[in-house]
Amino acid sequence: MGFLMTTIIFFVAGVVASVLVRLCCNRGPSTNLFHLTLVITATVCCWMMWAIVYLAQLKPLIVPILSEGE
Amino acid sequence: MGDYRGLNVRRDRGGCCPPMDLMRSEAMQLVRIIVPVESAHLTLSYLGDLGLFQFKDLNADKSPFQRTYANQIKRCGEMARKLRLFREQMAKAGIAHSEMAMTQTRIDFDEMEIKLGELEAELIEVNSNNEKLQRSYNELLEYMLVLKKAGEFFYSAQSSATAQHREIEARQIGDGSIDSPLLLEQEMLTDPSKQVKLGFVSGLVPKEKAMAFERILFRATRGNMYLRQAAVDDPVIDPISGEKIAKNVFVVFYSGERAKTKILKICEAFGANRYPFTDDIGKQMQMISEVSGKITELKTTIDLGMLHRDNILKNISYQFEQWNNLVRTEKAIYHTLNMLSLDVTKKCLVAEGWSPVFATSQIQDALQRATYDSNSQVGSIFQVLHTKESPPTYFQTNKFTSAFQEIVDAYGIAKYQEANPGVYTIITFPFLFAVMFGDWGHGMCLLLATLMLIFREKKLSSQKLGDIMEMMFGGRYVIMMMALFSIYTGLIYNEFFSVPFEMFGRSAYACRDPSCRDATTDGLVKVREAYPFGVDPKWHGSRTELPFLNSLKMKMSILLGVAQMNLGIILSYFNAKFFSNSLNTWYQFIPQLIFLNSLFGYLSLLIIVKWCTGSQADLYHVMIYMFLSPTDDLGENQLFPGQKTLQLVLLLLALISVPWMLFPKPILLRKQHNERHQGQSYTVIHNTEESLEIEEDHDSHDHEEFEFSEVFVHQLIHTIEFVLGAVSNTASYLRLWALSLAHSELSSVFYEKVLLLAWGFNNIAILIIGIVVFVCATIGVLLVMETLSAFLHALRLHWVEFQNKFYEGDGYKFAPFSFALLADEED
Repeated sequence: MGFLMTTIIFFVAGVVASVLVRLCCNRGPSTNLFHLTLVITATVCCWMMWAIVYLAQLKPLIVPILSEGE
Repeated sequence: MGDYRGLNVRRDRGGCCPPMDLMRSEAMQLVRIIVPVESAHLTLSYLGDLGLFQFKDLNADKSPFQRTYANQIKRCGEMARKLRLFREQMAKAGIAHSEMAMTQTRIDFDEMEIKLGELEAELIEVNSNNEKLQRSYNELLEYMLVLKKAGEFFYSAQSSATAQHREIEARQIGDGSIDSPLLLEQEMLTDPSKQVKLGFVSGLVPKEKAMAFERILFRATRGNMYLRQAAVDDPVIDPISGEKIAKNVFVVFYSGERAKTKILKICEAFGANRYPFTDDIGKQMQMISEVSGKITELKTTIDLGMLHRDNILKNISYQFEQWNNLVRTEKAIYHTLNMLSLDVTKKCLVAEGWSPVFATSQIQDALQRATYDSNSQVGSIFQVLHTKESPPTYFQTNKFTSAFQEIVDAYGIAKYQEANPGVYTIITFPFLFAVMFGDWGHGMCLLLATLMLIFREKKLSSQKLGDIMEMMFGGRYVIMMMALFSIYTGLIYNEFFSVPFEMFGRSAYACRDPSCRDATTDGLVKVREAYPFGVDPKWHGSRTELPFLNSLKMKMSILLGVAQMNLGIILSYFNAKFFSNSLNTWYQFIPQLIFLNSLFGYLSLLIIVKWCTGSQADLYHVMIYMFLSPTDDLGENQLFPGQKTLQLVLLLLALISVPWMLFPKPILLRKQHNERHQGQSYTVIHNTEESLEIEEDHDSHDHEEFEFSEVFVHQLIHTIEFVLGAVSNTASYLRLWALSLAHSELSSVFYEKVLLLAWGFNNIAILIIGIVVFVCATIGVLLVMETLSAFLHALRLHWVEFQNKFYEGDGYKFAPFSFALLADEED
């Protein structure tokens, strides 16, 4: 599960979601575009959040040092 | 200025991009409607049902009394007052008015006015009768008390007097022959002709005034009186005020007429009700029976009266809601009619106002129906006017989008047809909230709470809720989105009430050797690829957790902030394109984009490169020395080859883009203005009257003075705001880090210091207390307070950091004449 693979999963999820929204509530072109914008924005937000956390752990400069008690 | 020109061009071209719901407010048109007087009322009633027309007040210079329909409004006010009286009476009698109108028959306004008047008169009469009866009933009750209590006084006094009398008589018989020294007294007692007739007054006086009453009586009669008082056990209803007061029954004995008048006056002053009384016991008995007979009689009469009143009120209650609606709509109609100007011929009314373009056919249809239904000979005229005035902003929202649009509107109503941040707010607002509120346990709690509101939507929307509940209910879909995103970010942060789970595969870290000796000194080692989804669970509770999370969250805040600010700048491009304002594109959008990205876009790039390469470079150092000494060698802080050249180029670009933002736009605006002016002086060739008229119209608008200094100062402020804002806004996004840190620390404190501590005692009672404290703290602090604070910070990030990149927000809201809105306002 590399960076690229998960990114592709996010992309596919975004595409599937937009297709579903298009199929489920088709209410004219302007509303469809609105729904598409929402889905894309949401997908991009979620992907960014994941990508940031993933990249930060890719080559960490510090490692977990367990507390004394454990 | 340029924007208004663009607005006119847009009418021909229809914008830049395919239309999107909610992105641009509805296209509006200024409309003039000419209605014959006879069908005006019906027309307005139909338009009010439609609710898509905003009337302009054409009589703004007239006072409310000078307007055409002032009289009708007065009548409506009077009827509303009557209805309020009915509502009060019904509330007093405990009769609920039925919410649903019983019959949907159309009631005539005049008929209703008469009926309301009759009902009011009847109700008032019944009430006053009842009041009178009630008063005499209370008087009789008091009288009864006086009769009983005073009777007791007399009885006891008489028995003691007869005892005395007997004693004296006995003494007389015993030593009648001896000249006793008491002779004088004896004579006085026995000689009836010399006996002074003592008068008395009896009644009730309020208990709290009793002392003062006695004192004043004493003083006024110089002690020549005798007062007896007895407290009444239960408070009695005062017949005059109708209130319950504790009272004393009194009897005052006096002698002489003058004393009597004085006492009567004092009684009046103290509000003491006097009742006649006799000292004859036979008569007393007779009166008591008489009064009690009267009391029962009155009681039945009063009950009958109440029943009658309740019947009237019940009859009113069936139709109350319908009447109330009718009066409200009539009042609104006449109020709106007053905004129309009366034609010179007084045969038709002229209305002007805004309506969405899409509603044209609906409005025309309503006008036609009104003409037909009112049997008017002449139809109404519908006419679209051209104007330079900025139209109102109208977004068609549904129950999901309306709350998000409210968030944007709370900052400022969008300028007519400018890009609406609401479109992106629907996602980015809950997302930024969730970045600060990342915990999927808390997210689930929030989701459950809001789902409860959503499932009971139909029931709750008809109810009256409290202030706070109302707000929660209004924002239920916002809270739902916030909860969904916090579940997602909670999974990323790997926190469930601050507890991590190893859900998405195995942790990347492990001990160096099987004994795990140096795990607490040197730490674990990375043995696998990075944890695939979210923060590695091994970080939790480790000594390096905070340094790692701080660095991660701080960098994340900057990356998210730069992304959102770029989105804002891109939206400003769509605005410029939409209003065909190429000046804004070239001299505002492009330099802004370059400036932000050459500084903070570069920082974001550095962050990502640092993560990907695992370099030890100090990013602060790189950013600071990029300005202080851009030509110096980077040394060990170099992240990639050619970094120095890139930095120099970026710095140069940033420096160029500041004057680029500042100077060209005002200069070009002046040039455009001058050209337009010159052009005008040459083109006045048309001689036809029509074109002259248009020209006049045109002139009045275009002849505004072009103040170069003003435009320049405006642009200067704008530039400074942007340049400084780029730095401060980026810093402002660090609140994402701070709040998210606070949230995770608080929740881990509650988990470890309360729940785990209580668990450690191995005692059921302590455990239960611990769970209760944990639940209360989680709900009170984390779910309520933290939600509020994260909400406010997300709000600020949208209002200031995001919207100041493109949003003008100086429009005004479309306020149509609508009966549906009217009902909401009343409640």
